[in-house]
Amino acid sequence: MADVPQPRRVRPKLAMGLAGATGLGRPLLSFGFILTLWIAVTGAGLVPEQIFPSPLSVWQATVEMAANGTLATDLAVSMRRAAIGFGIGSVLGVTLGLLTGRVALVRALLNPFLTLLRPIPAIALVPVAIVWFGIGEGSKYFVVSYTVFLTVWFNTHHGMEYIPDIYLRASRSLGASRMREFLTVVIPAAAPHIVAGLRLGVALAFLSLVAAELSGASSGLGHRLQEARQYIRTDRMFALLIILGALGATVDLIVQWVGRKLVHWQQG
Amino acid sequence: MSSGHVRVDHLSITFAGKQGPVTALAPTTLHLAPGSFTALIGPSGCGKSTLMNAIAGFVQPAGGAMTLDNTEITGPSPDVGVIFQQYALFPWFTALGNVKFALKRLGLPRAELHDRAMAALEEVNLAQHAAKFPGQLSGGMKQRVAIARTFAAGPKVLLMDEPFAALDAQTRIVMHHLLTDIWQKHRATVLFVTHDVDEALLLADRVCVMSQAPGRIIRDYALDLPRPRSLRAQADVLLPIRDEIITLLHPTHADA
Ligand SMILES: Nc1ncnc2c1ncn2[C@@H]1O[C@H](COP(=O)(O)OP(=O)(O)OP(=O)(O)O)[C@@H](O)[C@H]1O
Ligand SMILES: [Mg+2]
Repeated sequence: MADVPQPRRVRPKLAMGLAGATGLGRPLLSFGFILTLWIAVTGAGLVPEQIFPSPLSVWQATVEMAANGTLATDLAVSMRRAAIGFGIGSVLGVTLGLLTGRVALVRALLNPFLTLLRPIPAIALVPVAIVWFGIGEGSKYFVVSYTVFLTVWFNTHHGMEYIPDIYLRASRSLGASRMREFLTVVIPAAAPHIVAGLRLGVALAFLSLVAAELSGASSGLGHRLQEARQYIRTDRMFALLIILGALGATVDLIVQWVGRKLVHWQQG
Repeated sequence: MSSGHVRVDHLSITFAGKQGPVTALAPTTLHLAPGSFTALIGPSGCGKSTLMNAIAGFVQPAGGAMTLDNTEITGPSPDVGVIFQQYALFPWFTALGNVKFALKRLGLPRAELHDRAMAALEEVNLAQHAAKFPGQLSGGMKQRVAIARTFAAGPKVLLMDEPFAALDAQTRIVMHHLLTDIWQKHRATVLFVTHDVDEALLLADRVCVMSQAPGRIIRDYALDLPRPRSLRAQADVLLPIRDEIITLLHPTHADA
């Protein structure tokens, strides 16, 4: 039966062409398609421009914000908040994750509590943050770092739990001290999960930052969005949303690239 | 100098199962002479790995005693080296880094650490692959790195749990020669678990056969033959033993 030649599956030409599009080809194809659709819908005049702006007016709004300087300041302010919040949250998350993964007492004291905190959405925290830290930078750092912390902690802890026993056995029967085992076996073994957690953390940093900036901020991309709502400037809103998307995707690509360098031994 | 005398006396091991404790190893007695090479063979699930994990200090016995050179075995130690079927190399270290890991506890100066690790890799003919990561090595090469790493730690006892089971027949033959050479040089006491009767007969001074689960040792053969061995050249001694072991391993073969 094994000798019967299997009929070769021939893919239709279009599908072949699409699957063949690699690298930049595929995203460009997708963006081109959506842009065409967008132009068609707005060009047909079915929806009022003020509700659903055309690509051209979104582009003009972008140029306008760039020219009056708000775009650069907002970007800088938001990036700074996301970076600081991410920095605090991820350092705390990794540290505590390593501790709850390694030290039974810390795990017993903290895990049930932290697990309970995880389902609380970041947005729900904004009012508390504002009462505690005002509408300045403090409340943004708090909301972002808190969200990043929980995710990074969870992933780190999870990674620690799934370290294959065989690594620890090998390490101990090769005479490694507990400290050397922790630094050169446990941490690298958990690293793929930690890196995955950091990547999620970056995405969440943007998410929670915008949530915090939407309600109670006087600068930043989220604040500019809220301001655009007051003047019903959907063109600006669209511009800001696209910038947020591009920013998030770029940072994610960078984190992914760095992560791959860090855990180079991990396949797939 | 103490030299790797393993005594296992009436050792039994149980695991907590869903319906109460499960006996993984019935009371077993096994003494390994210093520098000897013992093969352990038995049906699947009879407790070979369990016995080995106990001697390695990975699992606690339910009863009985284990000593190495008259000192009780209470946990893993560099005196007892372990070679795993799944290699257990650290994928984040290079081949050289893995061997260095075993040498770290000696607190050597940098240059000497490097030289000794390279020498260990040379012994398994892998010096030219020192900078590669385990993911870039074949199964046979990985197991050679693991052997170099374990011997580098200077163990008195070497436990090997089906170390070559995942390798193809040809690689396995290469590994047999390599292991025999290294072992004759370092003279650790070896306990070698295998499912392959021929492998046991070719490598070991002594072959212990275990019963069906819960296992205990039911037969103990001494093989005083020169190395390298071959089933054909030493057929008059090896083949009758081989037939006996195969019958012992398949007692219900007739009705199966
Ligand atoms: N961690 C564990 N928890 C519960 N039961 C276990 C555990 N490890 C082994 N056992 C049981 O102990 C018995 C002996 O297992 P062991 O792995 O020692 O067998 P083995 O002789 O090495 O088998 P194989 O030849 O298939 O490797 C089996 O019944 C197994 O199910
Ligand atoms: Mg086994």
